[in-house]
Amino acid sequence: MALLVWFTMGIAIWHFAVFVPDHFWGGIVGAFLGAIAGAMTVGAVAHVAASKTVGDTDLSTALVAVPGALLGLAVVFLIGWRAERA
Amino acid sequence: MGRRRRNLFVLLFVGGLIAVSALVIATKQTRLGLDLRGGVELVYQGQPTPQQPQVTQDAIDRSLEIIRQRTDKLGVSEPEISRLGRDQITVGLPDVSNAQRAIDQVGTTAQMFFYDWEPNVIAKPGATTPAEAPFTNLYEAVKLAAKQKAECRGCTEGPRLYLFDSKSHRLLAGPETSKRDLFSNQKGGKQPPNSEILTVPQGVLVIENVREKLPGQKALPAQSWFVIRDRPSLSGKDIKDPKQQFDPTTNQPNVSFDFSGEGRRKFHDVTRVIAQRGLENHVPGNPPDQDSGHFAVVLDNKIVSRPIINFQENPDGIDGRTGAQISGSFTIQQAQDLADFLKIGALPIKLKLISQTQVSATLGKQALNEGLRAGAVGLLIVVLFLILYYRLLGLIASSALAAYGVIFFALIKLIPITLTLPGIAGLILTIGVAADSNIVIFERIKEEIRAGRSTASAIAAGYKRGIATIVDANVVTVLTAFVLFVLATAGVKGFAFTLLIGTLVSLLTAVVFTQAVLGSMGRTRLLSSPIALGAARERLRWHFNFMGASRWFFSMSGMILIVGAVALATLQLNLGIDFKSGTRAKIAVTKPTDENGILAALSSVGINGESVQRVKDPGFGANVFQVQTRQLAPEQVGRLESAIDRRYGIAPGKFDSQSVGPTFGKTVAKSAIYAIIFSLLVIGAYVALRFDPKFAIPVLIALFHDILITAGVYSLTDREVTSSTVAAFLTILGFSLYDTIIVFDRIRENVPRLPRAAFSQIVNRSMSEVLTRSLATSFSTLLPVLALLLFGGTTLKDFAFALLVGIASGTYSSIFIASPVLTAWKEREPTYRRKRQRILDQMGEIPAFPEENVGLRAEDELASPAAETTDASDGDGAVSEEPEALVDDGGEADGADQPLEDRPIGSRPIGSPPGAEGSNGAKRNRRQRRRKHGRPR
Repeated sequence: MALLVWFTMGIAIWHFAVFVPDHFWGGIVGAFLGAIAGAMTVGAVAHVAASKTVGDTDLSTALVAVPGALLGLAVVFLIGWRAERA
Repeated sequence: MGRRRRNLFVLLFVGGLIAVSALVIATKQTRLGLDLRGGVELVYQGQPTPQQPQVTQDAIDRSLEIIRQRTDKLGVSEPEISRLGRDQITVGLPDVSNAQRAIDQVGTTAQMFFYDWEPNVIAKPGATTPAEAPFTNLYEAVKLAAKQKAECRGCTEGPRLYLFDSKSHRLLAGPETSKRDLFSNQKGGKQPPNSEILTVPQGVLVIENVREKLPGQKALPAQSWFVIRDRPSLSGKDIKDPKQQFDPTTNQPNVSFDFSGEGRRKFHDVTRVIAQRGLENHVPGNPPDQDSGHFAVVLDNKIVSRPIINFQENPDGIDGRTGAQISGSFTIQQAQDLADFLKIGALPIKLKLISQTQVSATLGKQALNEGLRAGAVGLLIVVLFLILYYRLLGLIASSALAAYGVIFFALIKLIPITLTLPGIAGLILTIGVAADSNIVIFERIKEEIRAGRSTASAIAAGYKRGIATIVDANVVTVLTAFVLFVLATAGVKGFAFTLLIGTLVSLLTAVVFTQAVLGSMGRTRLLSSPIALGAARERLRWHFNFMGASRWFFSMSGMILIVGAVALATLQLNLGIDFKSGTRAKIAVTKPTDENGILAALSSVGINGESVQRVKDPGFGANVFQVQTRQLAPEQVGRLESAIDRRYGIAPGKFDSQSVGPTFGKTVAKSAIYAIIFSLLVIGAYVALRFDPKFAIPVLIALFHDILITAGVYSLTDREVTSSTVAAFLTILGFSLYDTIIVFDRIRENVPRLPRAAFSQIVNRSMSEVLTRSLATSFSTLLPVLALLLFGGTTLKDFAFALLVGIASGTYSSIFIASPVLTAWKEREPTYRRKRQRILDQMGEIPAFPEENVGLRAEDELASPAAETTDASDGDGAVSEEPEALVDDGGEADGADQPLEDRPIGSRPIGSPPGAEGSNGAKRNRRQRRRKHGRPR
């Protein structure tokens, strides 16, 4: 269930990437992948740190994916922006 | 063959098919599934034995054959016995109401072994006569067995694990062959606290003693057990011709049999050994029976009989020439069953019951009536919609729907497809699919008529161009149904198969048949009026900057998904018992009571702390209760039924139950996940091949969007997620794509026709052209789904709810998610970047529609022809190719296909009306032209 929550939150946050100029590596699809990867990674790390099982979810499970998705988007944006400048 | 002759042939062919179908419908019976006629469904998982260390394909096939023979003996007509996955077997027994007898008859391994008793029985500590001192406590017996050393000489079982409560020594689970199975029904699949695992090694058995009622005893004695060494002298394979007979002296039913040659020798040897031992142990003065040895007949670890081999009567043993007989405290039925088991043979593997469903015939009939009513209403409202919206074309489509219904129903009877409740849902849904195909073509015909074509020409062009879209959309539905059919569990397979066949039949009636009808009528006066075709004038013209507004729609979707994620995290999904295991029973009682009354009845048979709910189901009864518990064993379900029956009376045939074990729940969950992943892969691959690899990614993103939104809605509304919901989910994938494919197909068509436009403009134009069509197809699919939601039974309503949410989300995502993602991604391509930049340079901004690129066209007029050639063939496939001329029956061509940007604004088929169209944009363009080129003189 936690995986589904992070995945949903990652996609949800990705929807707002359209307000940022498209300098993402791989464009909107790269942003999509970045948001999901970020949300899943940070979500998983936080979950493991809190010693929770995959089926054990609460509000924090959803919220912790938000910075993860943003981080993922930021990484993909930076990679893309650097590639464009190079 | 001439067109007219071909049409006539098609009409005659379909007419013939309808006549044959009517004959089939009148003469053949419909095969109804268990959920519609009542009965028992059992799902077993094969487990290895020492004789069959692996559950192989061959072992499963032999088991299927043995089960088939056993169900024949049970007198079940049309049993459905099939393999499920790698090691599971599903057995459907229609019209059977006694679940316990069905379980006893079908799943009993029936492995019979004969033991020389005295040397094998392990003495209870302190007992002087072990044979007469069984354990009255299972824990003590297992504890003793667990202390023995493993030793296998022809043993029949491997090591077995038992789980006991360490304080009360109550058996919690077992015997099982692995810890995973032992804990499968425990909380979290882990060993519960304060519990103890005891392992009985290979070569030692804990067997249940025969429970024989002795003369003068009113009740059966309590359960008791023996611990023996597993060294059988004979097995069930050594006997032949078993029959149920009567003992000539006691007139009690027994089972007599002969021995095979080898069996006779073994029997003679072992009885001789027993007789000689009896003689050796004989204490003079004792009656011979007291000192004679025993010979135990053990069936599936239960002693059936333990006769004495009297050494005085048989000093050299029994040679077995005249066979032997097993006498126990049998009823006639039990003796007959045992004889049948022995005759058919033992199952090669052990079968563990992992799911058990008992459907009452009343509930089945009620479900059938509700399903048929929903289907009739669905068909009626789709027909009404088609006639109201498309007039004469709608009438023709309705006749095609009627033909579809007749042919499809005949196929269901002819194949025969076992009609289940999800199957009825699939059938109703295909009404929408059939109507969708017609809508796609009719909208195209209307478009062509409005573009100035003659009716005959418009019909030819409509079919020619619409067919690709229909094939693409239906191939996706067929692929999804196929994946579902291969991977899903039995109930959902019915839905998938119905959807698969229905979609194929709909292609015949909705495309081939209607084309022949319209082709034959194309030049008649009936079809000459655009009003009769619903193509008089376009009431609704879409002129909306879809791509410009997409970021707001993205935000809306993002917000919905955030709510969904929070709901999933906090409320989670309400998974049904087919996923998380458990037992659910629906009971209609005759005496009035409440939930507490039912709870009290349950606790009287040791079923405590369960959820009991009063449910409204007038068709089933006035006092209907639903009981949900952890998984109960079949005999516990029987106890539950009889406890409630004793207190409150259960109306005949008003008990419905389902028990799902954790193994089956995991199988359902795993197959659901596999089905979703494979569907996504297959759909992605098809779109990539048929369109362009870049078109596949937005499609998949839109599908994720639909699935997650539906999951969020399920979480928020706390609706139960069952295997039917997953089937509905997967259908959503197919239908969501129907709309996306309509839009993408038009984008693909418009790309070469708009060589100078930015990709966003092409998408805007395409969406404007097909939005009505897309909404109409969604609406026509929603109509039968609404009928299911309003008139279907509980299962169909659940199904319809998932479809309703999914179709609404799918329509939305096709327009506002898939297309904008495609646009954003394609516009990064160098070709479209250049085009976009060029428009920006010329006009200062990107107009919403390509026809607003006025400044650009003026520029083009001034530019050299060479420059235009370079631009239009940038190598991205967007080459300004000359569109093919549309030729109607008479061979006339019209100008409907010239590049759209070059058409006079007034002649555009769809888009803004000339007066209103981009008035701001046109003014702006004029201003920009003046700035760039000066005021025209």
